[in-house]
Amino acid sequence: MKKNNILLLVTNKTLITNFKKESNITFLFPLENFCIGLPTFALENIKEEGYIFLNRILDNTDIEKFKKIITKLPKNIKGIVFDDLGILNVLIKSNLKIKKILFLNHLNSNYQSINYYLDYVDSVFISSDITINETKEILKKAKKPLVVFTFGHVNIMYSRRTLISNYNNHFKENVPNTAILQEKITNIPFIIKEDLYGTAIYTKEPFNALEYRHLDNILFNFINPLFLENDIEKIIKSPTNLDDIYPYKYLSTKETIYKLKEEEK
Amino acid sequence: MIELLAPAGSLEKLKVAYHYGADAVYLGGYNYSLRANAQNFSYEELKEATQIAHNLSKKIYVTVNILLHNKEISGLKDYLQELEKIGIDAVIASDIVVIKCIKENNINLEVHLSTQASTLNYEAALFYKNLGVKRIVLAREASKEDIKIIKEKTALDLECFVGGAMCTSFSGKCVLSNVATGRDSNRGGCAQICRWSFNINDKKETFTMTPKDLNMAVYLEEMLNIGVNSFKIEGRMRSIYYIATVVYEYRKLLDKIINHTLTKNDILYSNDIINRCANRESTPQFFDKLPTEKEQYYLGRDEVSNQDFLGIVLEIKDNKILIEQRNYFKIGDIVEFFGPKTEPITYKIHKIYDENMENIDIARHPRMKVYLEKEMNLQPGDIMRLKIFDKNNYL
Repeated sequence: MKKNNILLLVTNKTLITNFKKESNITFLFPLENFCIGLPTFALENIKEEGYIFLNRILDNTDIEKFKKIITKLPKNIKGIVFDDLGILNVLIKSNLKIKKILFLNHLNSNYQSINYYLDYVDSVFISSDITINETKEILKKAKKPLVVFTFGHVNIMYSRRTLISNYNNHFKENVPNTAILQEKITNIPFIIKEDLYGTAIYTKEPFNALEYRHLDNILFNFINPLFLENDIEKIIKSPTNLDDIYPYKYLSTKETIYKLKEEEK
Repeated sequence: MIELLAPAGSLEKLKVAYHYGADAVYLGGYNYSLRANAQNFSYEELKEATQIAHNLSKKIYVTVNILLHNKEISGLKDYLQELEKIGIDAVIASDIVVIKCIKENNINLEVHLSTQASTLNYEAALFYKNLGVKRIVLAREASKEDIKIIKEKTALDLECFVGGAMCTSFSGKCVLSNVATGRDSNRGGCAQICRWSFNINDKKETFTMTPKDLNMAVYLEEMLNIGVNSFKIEGRMRSIYYIATVVYEYRKLLDKIINHTLTKNDILYSNDIINRCANRESTPQFFDKLPTEKEQYYLGRDEVSNQDFLGIVLEIKDNKILIEQRNYFKIGDIVEFFGPKTEPITYKIHKIYDENMENIDIARHPRMKVYLEKEMNLQPGDIMRLKIFDKNNYL
């Protein structure tokens, strides 16, 4: 069985201890002040080799801060995974010799767009919101190896609003910054998480895409251990796809509805 | 260049938008457009719409702003070439494949970057500028400072929303609808889950994330001063009355700003009219601060339906005004007419005639045609509404 290269989001320090001897695992550190919905690390506190993760949409002030950061990136930072295209523009103009991976959450849904971005970066995250067949076609037609979401809770909404604080202020409540939402009619649950930069909503169940480990033209299989830190070792090391324990396939099995009128026909 | 940009969900709405003062409209074509439920325009309708626009020396933009999946790639070039042939003025796109397709195939179409790309900084704007994008529709989350700096550093045309519904999320960064209903929010099927009601933990009070609408009337002048070129009104699904009223008010405000005749009273009056028309409370959202609980609803879908829209003037003849009724009105009602060349005029209804010129007391049937006495100068296309706000009270 092939040994996959895993890009592991570091959501607590224990993960570093547990996985630092695994040669196929690359750590991805959410960078302080540049992430939404994740525990973060200050650059000076990242001692291990790895990539940094910036998943926020940035304003002009953030971009200026980013420009300063890349002038003092320590040598253990081997790559950067980012969402905002402002970062891409800065990187295009810089001589930074690290791996550049475009995240662009939700938006890399076809092979042509991905191939255009690959002119500027080393790799691209494929959107986790498409079917496995669409993912396979993209991997087949992409001109460089790509990153695929492989396991974890999926961030399905990102707002600049502080939605939990607003609720607490309005009702004089004290809901903590991570909570469970349940839609009142459908009973569909979500996880909501707020921080300084807004609010993220995650799927309640982890998306199990371990079968994507067997696909070709993959640079990294991305694993998000958020809310799963105690189980992540057995998930990563499992030779099987664990479908019996984690059956949730998110949006990978059925195409979403595009034109409602066509669907009605 | 200063432009008032209105939505056009149909040919009828397009005509109303232009008539009431829009410089340009945006609409969905027969493919690749968000708002899958809107009456998107067929090829023939697009041709007609473009002809109408250009005969009036106005502009027309077509949204090609869905997130493309593999299977949609093959028809894209043909579609864009058809739009070029029709002669529209620009496409509004978010997916890089659309922008690159236009450039690589030398398709003569100007590209405006959709708000779906959530552009909030000048480096992102410069990335798109280098791809050939002429205008950026900034993220609705853009603050005054963000807009100012992006303008200064890029010199791009900037388009900002001034009115209409807000997403809770950054545009393009929400797939709640996909997960909850299978309807794809980035491909025109958004089920607006953010306007539904939720339980949170074990709390008694309902959790909602519904934002109030956007209304930038009070900040229009500042927006213009910091370099916004196009003032965009949201709402391809909105009614003719909404389009006419909101376009009319923003047109007035913009013209007065440009002519240096704007007063605080003008702003307050227009602000109230726009808020009432939207059926939802409206506020400036991110321009001057981060939104708080005051910019949200906590009572579910808190929309107040009103019957302010009473009728449209069809014709003026023989000292009579022919009205097509849209909501119930009766003798004794105090109403108001307004139109592109008609300043709001108060009118007390003292006689109503049916189509046979028989006296009636009430106009009760939708779209029935009735006559009123002509006591002032009106134009066909003028709108009759319930009088709610008196401009004299703002003086």
